[in-house]
Amino acid sequence: MSPSGRFLLDGMAQTFEPGDTIAMAVVRAGGHPGHGGTLCLAGDCGSCVARVDGIAYVRTCLTPAHEGLAVERHPADGPPGWAEAPASRTIEVHHAETDVAVIGGGPAGRAAAEEARQAGRSVELLDGASGDEVVAIYAGPTVIVRRADGMRHLRARDVIVATGTAEIQPVGPGSRLEGLLTARAARRLHEAGVDLGRAVAIGPPPEGVPCTPLAGELVRLEGEGRVAAVVTRSADGELRSACDTVILDLGRSPRDVLSRMADDLPVTVVGSAAEAYPLPAPPTAGVVCPCVGTTVEDLEGVWERGFREVELVKRASLAGTGTCQGSVCLPHVRAWIAARAGEPPPPFTARPASRQITLAEAAADVHLDAFRRTPLHDEHVAAGARMDRFGGWWRPWHYGDHLAEYRAVREAVSLGDVSTLGKFVVAGPDAVEFLQRLYPTDVATIRPGRSRYALLLNERGHVIDDGMICRETDDRFVLTFTTGGAGNAEAWMRDWLETWGLDVRLMDRTMSLAAINVTGPRAAELLARAGLAEPPRFLQHARVELAGMACHVMRLSFTGEASFEIHHPVDRSVELWRGLLALGEDLGIRPHGLQALFALRLEKGHVIVGMDTELDTTPRRLGMDWAVNMEKPDFLGRSALARTSGQADHRRLVGLTMDGEAPMEGSTIWAGGAVIGHVTSAFASPTLDRAVMLGWQKRTPFPEQVEIDGRPASVTPPPFYDPEGARARA
Amino acid sequence: MRAPEPIPGTRIVGASEVLDQVRVPVDHPVLRFASDEVFVLGDFRWTGVESVLEEDERGFVGWWLTPEETAHVLHHVEWPLPGERPALAQGLVAGVPARLWLDDDRALLLVHAAYAHELVARLP
Repeated sequence: MSPSGRFLLDGMAQTFEPGDTIAMAVVRAGGHPGHGGTLCLAGDCGSCVARVDGIAYVRTCLTPAHEGLAVERHPADGPPGWAEAPASRTIEVHHAETDVAVIGGGPAGRAAAEEARQAGRSVELLDGASGDEVVAIYAGPTVIVRRADGMRHLRARDVIVATGTAEIQPVGPGSRLEGLLTARAARRLHEAGVDLGRAVAIGPPPEGVPCTPLAGELVRLEGEGRVAAVVTRSADGELRSACDTVILDLGRSPRDVLSRMADDLPVTVVGSAAEAYPLPAPPTAGVVCPCVGTTVEDLEGVWERGFREVELVKRASLAGTGTCQGSVCLPHVRAWIAARAGEPPPPFTARPASRQITLAEAAADVHLDAFRRTPLHDEHVAAGARMDRFGGWWRPWHYGDHLAEYRAVREAVSLGDVSTLGKFVVAGPDAVEFLQRLYPTDVATIRPGRSRYALLLNERGHVIDDGMICRETDDRFVLTFTTGGAGNAEAWMRDWLETWGLDVRLMDRTMSLAAINVTGPRAAELLARAGLAEPPRFLQHARVELAGMACHVMRLSFTGEASFEIHHPVDRSVELWRGLLALGEDLGIRPHGLQALFALRLEKGHVIVGMDTELDTTPRRLGMDWAVNMEKPDFLGRSALARTSGQADHRRLVGLTMDGEAPMEGSTIWAGGAVIGHVTSAFASPTLDRAVMLGWQKRTPFPEQVEIDGRPASVTPPPFYDPEGARARA
Repeated sequence: MRAPEPIPGTRIVGASEVLDQVRVPVDHPVLRFASDEVFVLGDFRWTGVESVLEEDERGFVGWWLTPEETAHVLHHVEWPLPGERPALAQGLVAGVPARLWLDDDRALLLVHAAYAHELVARLP
């Protein structure tokens, strides 16, 4: 129990007594912790919420007063503004499991807990009075508990709600005055020694609390800011009674907000929270929902507009969407609807959280997506790379001078970290059959030691990824996929493997192997220095010893120059990277980032799936019919391609060139005064001395001359650079 | 969290009923990643079985956890733990894809090296 002391209330000293909550201390001093309205002092309503130590919407009736607290009332006419955030602290989340979670430590909760224990089940009894403030129940069910030491996420097989009842609060003229207490609140204050002054009671007076019981029903409350009199009506007529405090016992309602947010979950309500209670008289005037400010007139407005179902009345009027989540207004809204519809509607649904929680509490234990690092990450950073996120990985965008990197590839030799590519081994007696069905290319004609570029299509014939097929033996292949598409490609292959029931083994090696692309006219020279005197020829691959380690070298080309993709164990990647850089120092070697790579491949007209393609892109639209072998009896997407091949198409990806600077990617393409498409990739090529682009044309007849950025551009079939491919094969 | 150590081993992919027959020395824990895949810790080769795909694996790192460290890690696990031992559990640990191998007297937190930095940062 806190000793007596002082805290700050709106910047002024406020004394408190041992055991006081903030609200109790304020009432003891003759004030109100909010700006009027009935106080329940049980956490059911929003009348006492205030900013405490920088955190808004704190229920002051549940917050013990202690020395040094800073309490600020919320504004009377609106929500609290932004405040300087309190010093950040990490909110720990503690995960736990139990058979049964019982919420509520009263007689019903304790009995339910004991019964479950007797049945041999593990039980967690969550009692707000003991510091376990349950704020939500989510699917699982998972019970979210706020505690002094952080949040607790308790997964339970069954949840029992034994939270008792709340007290009905008045709605009518004067119901927002200060000096109004529920019967329970009056008793608590009296027991704490708070002087209630001249107190009158509407309804059964609380036992032991000095007050004058008033007969009849409540008509209105009068006063300026604070209640000064109450008017009641009985058979003898209206009676006006002067007072300092009005104690209201207008009935009970189930405190069932937690169960109302847990539809379809194994949640049981027991005790008084499960009982039915008579609704109050339908309100005729005044504020129905004090948290939001919804009035009886507002309800009438939404009713007249046709919102007559309780959930719609809630959404349209906002009643029940505020601080107390309907604890105060729900009985009145139901009574008001019942008076019009003839019967009371069921209670409306509640939304987590039932108590205000901070963003830190809500976000506790929630993490950003984890982005992977290649084994060369630190090498890139040390080399001054600007790292960025691509396809779930951190990758070097450039090392400070993307044009110098570009030139290193075109004129000398360069290294690129392509460890992020999807890498899979497919093996087994049915491996060829599997890949024949999977790919539109004729996999059976790929000889061991050879590789081929291939598209991956879905059943609709749309391009979903691309990569290389490397055949190692009759029944073993290595497949590569794009960085961002590898995960989907794996799921795609596993789904079809299961569907077809073929005798094939599939292993994902994406994170097991690193890969370095050695590219440029002097690439072979560099590999020779590393011990590979006879590297594979174009579209061949081999298992070799390189720089003292077992590697799988694939000869291909994405950059337009001779390229060797060296796949190797991740734990030796730094060694290989450093070794190659050292061996190539006098060759003008330098690493290149994605920015240079994207430019290099664009000069060759190579598409990037996901960047240049759309969700319904077919090979024909890409001008890549050559990658599809329609002579094969079947493959995924074949029937769709066969069906649509004779139909007119109104979309195509084209190469474009123009003088001057490259437009921004995404720029619109114009023809005849209309937008006909957009640019997907663009680069001002220093080699070609013009801007080269890929872009979509989506209107026929396809024009050959267009405008981009207000400048003329021409459709130019790629590749723009080395169209014969002599450099890649060199 | 201290730096992880390399956890080398062998990955074997094959038919479920074939993998059920994998027998290894006791000092090579076998982690059943999936019905068609196991990861055998340490230097191990399952020779003579042609129908399986077997590859050296150097892409994992991990932590052999003390009981205190295990308790700390479990604070960051949202899913139910298996009750039997030994057992392999797979899922997000502090939002990072990872695996937990739990034995009576020891536990291994296993993660792809590509994710290790995230786990180190998230398990203070």
